[in-house]
Amino acid sequence: MNLLHLAWLLSRPSKARLAPQILTASAYAMVSTILLIVLGGAHSFTSFEGEAQGTYLPLAATAVVLLVVPLLVLGSAAARLSARANDRALSSLRLLGGTGMQIRVVTVIQAAATALAGALVGLVLYLACAPLASLIPFQGAPIGRAIYLPMWIVAVAVFAVVLLSAISAAAGLRKLVISPLAVATRRTVPVPSWVRALITVGSIIVLCLLFLNLGKVTESLAAIIVVILGGFGLGLLALNLVGTYLVSKVGQSKLKKAQTPQQLLAARMILENPTVSWRQVSGVAMASFVAVVGGSGAAMMQQSATDEINHSWYDYLPADILTGVLVTLAITFICVAASSAISQSASTLDRAELYSGLHRLGMPYSTMNSARTESLMIPALTASIGFAIASTALVLPLAGMAVIISPLTVLTVIVAVLLGLALVRVSILVADPQKLLATGE
Amino acid sequence: MLENSIDHPPVLNAQDLRRSFGSTTALNGVNLKISLGESLAIMGPSGSGKSTLLHALAGIELPDSGSLILDLPGQARVDLQQLNDKARTKLRRQSFGFVFQAGLLIPELTAEENVAMALMINGTSRQTAMMQAGRVLAALGLAGMEQRRIGQLSGGQMQRVAIARAQVTGAMVVFADEPTGALDSTTGAEVLDVLLACTVGAGKSLVMVTHDPSVAERCDRVVKLSDGNLISDSSRSSSTVGGQAR
Repeated sequence: MNLLHLAWLLSRPSKARLAPQILTASAYAMVSTILLIVLGGAHSFTSFEGEAQGTYLPLAATAVVLLVVPLLVLGSAAARLSARANDRALSSLRLLGGTGMQIRVVTVIQAAATALAGALVGLVLYLACAPLASLIPFQGAPIGRAIYLPMWIVAVAVFAVVLLSAISAAAGLRKLVISPLAVATRRTVPVPSWVRALITVGSIIVLCLLFLNLGKVTESLAAIIVVILGGFGLGLLALNLVGTYLVSKVGQSKLKKAQTPQQLLAARMILENPTVSWRQVSGVAMASFVAVVGGSGAAMMQQSATDEINHSWYDYLPADILTGVLVTLAITFICVAASSAISQSASTLDRAELYSGLHRLGMPYSTMNSARTESLMIPALTASIGFAIASTALVLPLAGMAVIISPLTVLTVIVAVLLGLALVRVSILVADPQKLLATGE
Repeated sequence: MLENSIDHPPVLNAQDLRRSFGSTTALNGVNLKISLGESLAIMGPSGSGKSTLLHALAGIELPDSGSLILDLPGQARVDLQQLNDKARTKLRRQSFGFVFQAGLLIPELTAEENVAMALMINGTSRQTAMMQAGRVLAALGLAGMEQRRIGQLSGGQMQRVAIARAQVTGAMVVFADEPTGALDSTTGAEVLDVLLACTVGAGKSLVMVTHDPSVAERCDRVVKLSDGNLISDSSRSSSTVGGQAR
């Protein structure tokens, strides 16, 4: 029996694995649709004239690159879910003498096949959504037929989704132990250090000082833009560094105050692995950051815009930046929701025996669900608010208080935070142990 | 009708329990009475219906037909067949204790929190629950290990935590499914001693599924199943076969 035959035997549709398979394929379909629409939008900018094209194309390229990270996270989560959904079959293969490498190859092939199926569905969805996306205005006119990509770009995009899923599947499998007896998630519980908090606070202060004195450091516009973009990048990295520490601190505080079974369980679930808790909600934090920076940028452009119309491409830049920010936020949220739903489903399958066992013992599924919800929503809330405050501190020296408290910025941030939290909340429902495990039985 | 060998009122009275999975009959008209303070071992080959019977008696899964009356001292009689899933879940956590082979302890929680959780779900405050859990754990020889995570305990210690959890609510009936199945013989014997002392020794009932004759012979009564039929019911003082006194 060769590997391809094994891969087919494991990945062919079956009732027991239906929910995880549909979830994984849907996630890939969604990402493919988004990728193709963003590429379509970027492709439409190639028809702009010289100077406008020079400004719009790098912005579009940034949006495309931003998609790769959530796609990798999603692919990694999908591979783990795929392995969890097939755990018995994979363990049996190990018991029959399959090597760890063979099992990994089979799982990667499976993930790639699921991604291909998802990407093809995504292609159909792209064609279905394209008429709507073509109405998005840039440079004062709808994108129109330019949203439709040439065939070769579509083929490259589909291939890229499959390739990235395979790569991230291989990376994700390093966190799984597939033994002849079971499949388990490899647990490494780091101890978050206060040094992380110190580095982050120090970085934010240094960046704020740098932004405040930007005019004294350099007068070149190009250099200023590079410093600002670099500063935001470093700020994001520094904030990401403190995420695990922040989540563990909040978890400890919740543990002390816990009075109900669900509060106690939720706090312990967060503290079990703060890095994983943080990773599941880091997308929401990213969305908060984009909302503050993008919202302020759009507000600044709005304030600097004059009634005088020069009939140049620059007239449309403020509105187009706002459109770009909204599109980027929408993409981020969709990826966050998909990754979160998949991670939660993998986690539920990981603990299937425990959940059904606890139910037998008399623990209601509602208690388990409340604990799961709190264990995700507490870090999500921490991430959203923490990142919104920190990114405001970064933006303040550049934009000033008037921009930060302008209705457009405030509205963008509030909507972004609420929407992010709502999507994470919905993703928890998808991974309801009672429903997910019932499907698997 | 089976007669109980111990002269106590039955807390569980199962009549004509039937359960099928497709064409496989797991329970074929089983009658069984379990008295207060009695220890009962359920034995039989794999697939004979042992676990199905345990799950039916504990209200985990309803049989296709038959009746199952729970009659605990000081409480109203309840027909488990008439209860919905929510009510049976509540009944399990309030009136029954469970010790399974897998332990089913929550890995994120400490030993003390695992035990306290059983009380907290029933509405006890965290502080009170933790105090009671600590007392029960100490009584079972786990003093000083309250703050250990489950992964830091040995197999025998984990089963003691599971026994503590089954006991802390004051449940009068404890169900155990191969409680010593994953332990070595010495540790298994120690865990069994603790389990019997905590249940029968305290006037409670113990219903235990086991493959091990040496475990079964420690019980007051042993019933054997084959293909869903109760083929023998023996106690230290008397025995019956096929539902008739022998």
